Amino acid sequence: MNKITFAFKSMTGQKSGRLEEKWNYDTRSLLLSGPVVEDIDNDGKNEIVFGTRNGQVLSISMEGDLKWAYNAQESHSEMELMFLDAETSNSISSSPNIGDINNDGHKEIVFGTESGRLFVLDNKGKPLWNYLTEGPIRGTPFIQKFANNQSGILFGSTDKHLYFLNSKGQLLWKYNANSEIGSTPALIVSKRPMIVFGSNDGVLHALDIKGAPLWTFKTGDKILAQPTYNILAQGSDPVIIVGSTDGVLYCLTEQGNLVWSYETEGAICSKANVADINSDGKKEIVFGSCDNSVYAIDMDGKKLWSYETDFWVVAMPIIADVDGDGRIEIVAGSYDHNIYILDSAGSYMIDYVPGVSGIVAQTGQYGEAITSGPGKTQGKKIWQYKTEGVVVGCAYLHNGKNIIVNTESGKVNNLVHKID
Amino acid sequence: MDKIITKAGDIKRIPLFIQGLDDVMEGGIPEGHITLICGSAGTMKSSVCFNSIYNEATTKGRIAVYFTLEQSYSSLLNHVINMGYDLTKINVLLINDLSNITASITQLKSSKKGTIIFIDLGCIRKEIKDAKIATTANAGWLNVMKNIVKKVKADMGLDMVVIDSLSALYVLGKFENPRIELFYVFEFLREMNVTSFLISEMPLDGSRYSEYGVEDFLCDGIIYIRLSQFRRAVVREISIVKMRSTSVKTDIFSLEFKGGRFYALYGGQNPLL
Repeated sequence: MNKITFAFKSMTGQKSGRLEEKWNYDTRSLLLSGPVVEDIDNDGKNEIVFGTRNGQVLSISMEGDLKWAYNAQESHSEMELMFLDAETSNSISSSPNIGDINNDGHKEIVFGTESGRLFVLDNKGKPLWNYLTEGPIRGTPFIQKFANNQSGILFGSTDKHLYFLNSKGQLLWKYNANSEIGSTPALIVSKRPMIVFGSNDGVLHALDIKGAPLWTFKTGDKILAQPTYNILAQGSDPVIIVGSTDGVLYCLTEQGNLVWSYETEGAICSKANVADINSDGKKEIVFGSCDNSVYAIDMDGKKLWSYETDFWVVAMPIIADVDGDGRIEIVAGSYDHNIYILDSAGSYMIDYVPGVSGIVAQTGQYGEAITSGPGKTQGKKIWQYKTEGVVVGCAYLHNGKNIIVNTESGKVNNLVHKID
Repeated sequence: MDKIITKAGDIKRIPLFIQGLDDVMEGGIPEGHITLICGSAGTMKSSVCFNSIYNEATTKGRIAVYFTLEQSYSSLLNHVINMGYDLTKINVLLINDLSNITASITQLKSSKKGTIIFIDLGCIRKEIKDAKIATTANAGWLNVMKNIVKKVKADMGLDMVVIDSLSALYVLGKFENPRIELFYVFEFLREMNVTSFLISEMPLDGSRYSEYGVEDFLCDGIIYIRLSQFRRAVVREISIVKMRSTSVKTDIFSLEFKGGRFYALYGGQNPLL
C-alpha cells in the first residue's frame, strides 16, 4: 500500500498495515515482568532494561544486541539451598525502575529480587549498593525526587514492611502493613503528599511521607496492582484508582472514600492506564482483567467497551498512536500469547434491526418502551500479533513507534507497525 | 513425553501387600498415583504405608523416601522392627542433617538393593533452629521436602514417597492459602512421577477424609482405615473409598496383621467373632 492510499484510509477512519516483528532477543530464561525503555547512558539511544527469572538484569539496545547483564543471584550453602525453590529463589518478578537517584547526572537502575534484596546499579550495570529485607520484593521500587534534588526509594517486601530508603541505601523509615506487600507503591503529589500501596490482605494503605498512617481501604482480596492517581476531567477532584484480585476496580477520593467501583469477573493484577482515549475532554480508564478482557470505562465508572481475548490480561495496557494516523490505539498483551491493538473508540454494534425483531417483541405495555439505545459499543480489534509465549509485559517507544514485548518463554520482541 | 496408555493392562500397579485388598483393586494402586491413607490415631496408617514401600523395596529394588514429621525415625524404626520387618534386606538411610544429604545419597548410588530413606524433619527442624536459618515467604519446609524429592529422584531414581503426616506438614509449612498451596504440592508430586502415600489424620467426627477437604479431590485414591467397636472388641476396618483408573470393590474389610503380613478379611460381611 502506498502512502497516498494510507493517507486516504487515515482520513476516512480506516486502519491499514500490520504489526511486524523487527527482531527478537532470546534471554534463555523465563521472564516474569515487562521491560523499561529509556536512554539510560545518555548516548541519545534508548535501551531496553528488564529482569529475568534466573536473577539477571539485562540491558539490550534497540537493535536487539546485549549491552550488559548483571547477575543478581545469591550464593547459598547446601543447607540454605534445601530451603529454597531453586527455580524461583533468584527471580526478578517485576520491572526495574530507572532514575538519577543520587543526582550525579547519570541514571541508575533499581530493582528487587525474590531473595529479598533491593539492588541499585549504575547505567553500565555495575552495582552501587544493595539493601536486604526479610522477604521477597515482588513490586517495582518507586523512585521519588525531592525538592533538594535528592531521591528516595519506596518499595514493599513480603516481610510485610514498606521501606523508604535514601539515595545511599540508608533506611529512612519502614512501615509494618501487617500483611505481605507484593505491589508497587505510588506517591501522590497533591496538597498533602501521600504514599499509597496495596497489601496481600486486600488493604489499600495511605501514609504520609514520614510513614504515618492516614487511612486504609479494604478490598476483597490481594492488591498486586500499583494505584493510579489522576484528575479525570478539568475541575474535578483527583482520584486514586486501583484494581484488586477480587476483580473490582476501585475509584477513591484522596481521603480514601469510595467514589465508584467497577466489577469484572477476574483478578485485576496491574495498574490501570488513564488518558482521554476518545477526545471528549475527559479521561478514560483502560485496564486488563483475568476474566480475559480489556476494559475501557469512563470517569464515572461506566463501561465504554470491553474486548475479550482468549486468556488473562495481566500486563498494563498501553495507550499510544501505534500507526501514526493521529488517533490513539490501545495495546494489550494477553496470556493467550497475543498482542492486540484495539481501536480506542470501540465499535458500535446494533443488537437488533428496528422494525423487525423489535416489533415482534413489542407487547403494547408502556413498560416495554425502548429506553436505551438499539445497540452497544464493543471493543474492536485492529491488529493482532502472536508471540511465542504468555505476554507478561510490554513497553511502547513513542519516537520509534516500537512495541517491546516480554513473553514468559524468555523472548523479547520488538514489534513495529508496517504499511506496505 | 508421557507414554499414552492404550489398554487397561498397560497400567503398572504398586500393591499395598494387603492380602485380600490388592485383589479387589486390580492388583494395586496405579504407579504415579497420589493416595490418601486416612484414619484416626491408632489405625496403623504408617504401618500400612511402610508395608507397601518395604515390600516393593525387597521384591523389586524400589527406592522410597519416608518423611516422618511426627514420630522420630528411631521410634518409627523400633516400631517396624518390632512388627517383624527385616531391614537387613534393604538399604536404610537415615537423614537428620541437611548438610550431608549429598554425601549420604552418593554412598547408595551404586547399590542394587531396594532403599528406604527416612527423613526425620523433626530432627532437622531442631538443627535448623540451632543454625538460625530463617524461613521466609520463599524459604520454607515445603521447599525442603521438594528439594529432597528432586535430589533423590535425580541421583538415585525415586519411586515412592510417604508423607507422615499431612496434618504435621500443615503446621510446619504454615500454609497461608492451604487450598492453593496444596494444589501445588499435588502438582509437584505428579510432575515427579512418584507413587505417593499421604497420611491424613481424620477429624474425630469422621466428617471428611482430610483437613481442608480439597485433598479428597486432588488425590487419585483414598484408603480409609477406622477403628470399629464390636461388642467389647475393637477391630480395624479398611476400605477403598476412591481409586482412579481402577475398578474397585468398595466393601469394608477387617484389617489384621498376623505373622508379619497384613490381611483384609470378610469383605462386605460380618466377621464371626
